[in-house]
Amino acid sequence: MEITANGMNMATQGGLGRRAAIMLGGAALAGLAVRRSAFAQSATVTDADILNFALNLEYLEAQFYTLATTGKTIDQVGIGITGGDGSAGGSVTVKSGAMVPFTTPLLQQYAMETAMDEQNHVTFLRTALAANAVAMPNIDLMNSFNALAQAAGLGSTFDPFASETNFLLGAFIFEDVGVTAYHGAAGLISSKTYLDKAAGILAVEAYHAGSIRTRIFASGSAAQDASAKIAAARASLDGTGNDDIGVGLSGGAATIVDADSNAIAFSRTTSQVLKIVYGGGASGGAFFPNGLNGTIK
Amino acid sequence: MKMYKIFPRLNPNRPLASFPLCKQVPLQQRKQAKGGTIVDPVHEFIARKGVSRRRFLTGVGYSAGSAAALALATGCGGSRTPATTMPPPPATITDADILNFALNLEYLEAEFYLRAATGAGLSDTDAGSGAGAVTGGAQVTFATPAIQQYAMEIANDELAHVRFLRSALGSAAVSRPQIDLTNSFNAAAMAAGIGPMFNPFADENSLIVGAFTFEDVGVTAYHGAAGLLTNKTYLGAAAGIMAVEAYHAAEIRTLLAYIGGNYLTYANQISALRAAAGGGNEVAVSGSTIVAADSNSIAFDRTTDQVLHIVYLNATSGVVKSGGFFPAGLNGTITATAS
Repeated sequence: MEITANGMNMATQGGLGRRAAIMLGGAALAGLAVRRSAFAQSATVTDADILNFALNLEYLEAQFYTLATTGKTIDQVGIGITGGDGSAGGSVTVKSGAMVPFTTPLLQQYAMETAMDEQNHVTFLRTALAANAVAMPNIDLMNSFNALAQAAGLGSTFDPFASETNFLLGAFIFEDVGVTAYHGAAGLISSKTYLDKAAGILAVEAYHAGSIRTRIFASGSAAQDASAKIAAARASLDGTGNDDIGVGLSGGAATIVDADSNAIAFSRTTSQVLKIVYGGGASGGAFFPNGLNGTIK
Repeated sequence: MKMYKIFPRLNPNRPLASFPLCKQVPLQQRKQAKGGTIVDPVHEFIARKGVSRRRFLTGVGYSAGSAAALALATGCGGSRTPATTMPPPPATITDADILNFALNLEYLEAEFYLRAATGAGLSDTDAGSGAGAVTGGAQVTFATPAIQQYAMEIANDELAHVRFLRSALGSAAVSRPQIDLTNSFNAAAMAAGIGPMFNPFADENSLIVGAFTFEDVGVTAYHGAAGLLTNKTYLGAAAGIMAVEAYHAAEIRTLLAYIGGNYLTYANQISALRAAAGGGNEVAVSGSTIVAADSNSIAFDRTTDQVLHIVYLNATSGVVKSGGFFPAGLNGTITATAS
């Protein structure tokens, strides 16, 4: 999980340069096309494979928000985690008493809303996949954040459940990644029905990301600076070095939106998403210490 | 999280309960609230539109609507055209038709935010040859730097969307249609029960309410369009623009939750108006309902018909070709509602 100085610099420059970047127009479209065709050639993936990939990420998000708002795991609040074939769900590594000590009612309400949304996404995907649904893999919400904090230069440890600001940054780590993952998946789904649903979930993840980023912007320069470091780490981990922008200012404009110079949200391939959630590991690590369940892992 | 220290007006301790539309909805009630449609001060068209919501996507086809349905007028402004003048539906909706439909909406958003943030709208180059005139819009006197920075970012984003779509469409790009940013908001305010006038450029909080008028609609429009696009590259780009509109929408809804008071009430009255014209598909803003989505937490989508009813500010069932924000209608092939 090394992050080169060069990678960090590139990401930082990308962040500062979004608004100033020259329009790419058709060139950007061509770039999208290349990225998609390159991925399409790498594997034959079914819609179920894609939805199961998404389900793994939703398990992760649902656990994070549910623990942050209730101190309980999703199976403890009645959300299924077993596989459609009856296989058992994995375990969650998290500190005891994970419920965030909220002091701002509007933030606590929003955290509860997001927990419900992510639980709904888990349930929706499990229902859609039925017998094909994968079980929840092992999830780590403790060592993962510590490792990512080190990679991002935020210190040796990071507890996303310790305070409201830490919760915002913990949530920030997931949300933009969810957007890019669903965005990347959109072009891979063959069923019009599933495409429509995936697009709708993509929009909800973007709502979450937009709300979290607005709150980080409003909480001041310390949180903004941390978000920039996390964004840079994500961009470095996925190998591009330039597809992520933290919350801050650029040329008199806020950077609430995580998007390219055409104001189009970034997109990541499944392998790029895996590199981030594995913390750079090849077959597992960070948030998924034993890897995802399913065929895309 | 001390947003109100940065925005003194955004004091989260400001009580919201005295405003009937701002009550904090318990999470367990949200599922019902999402499926249904909030307060409906206008009409029962929600149910009618809801039934036909998927018509465009599923290819059932166009229908002019019954004479009885056409006879129902909601008084939301705009014009209603008799069914006898209904244009023949295009045989096939092309990707260019869809992207041009989106371009019209981006022109509207870009003009709104650019004028609010900078005092000047799109350049002649960005508006295209023979572009329609724009009525209204003025630079907002910002009291809070952060809100000015939000407005500047969104203005830049919408300008980028205009340029991107014009570039992608090339010579097929439609020019900017006539846009009205004065009478439209007044008519919307009247129809929504806010009052006879609403100037979104009057101050920064009014601007947030004006922005709210557009953003969730943009999300539903792009979401609905996703299933219509055949080219995977365009689909990817449209999904990426939809996500950006959702970032904007969440930002605006989050700010409204903190601003509270009359501004939140106005926004939710606008939401109810959109629901009446656009097939439901709305969730009122509160501290615990930042996301506009259905009971599965999947964002709503709208047909082009439903989007047109909203931007023409006309919930009348049947053929509507212009009104509201587009006094001369959209440019392109998707310009009139079919039902």
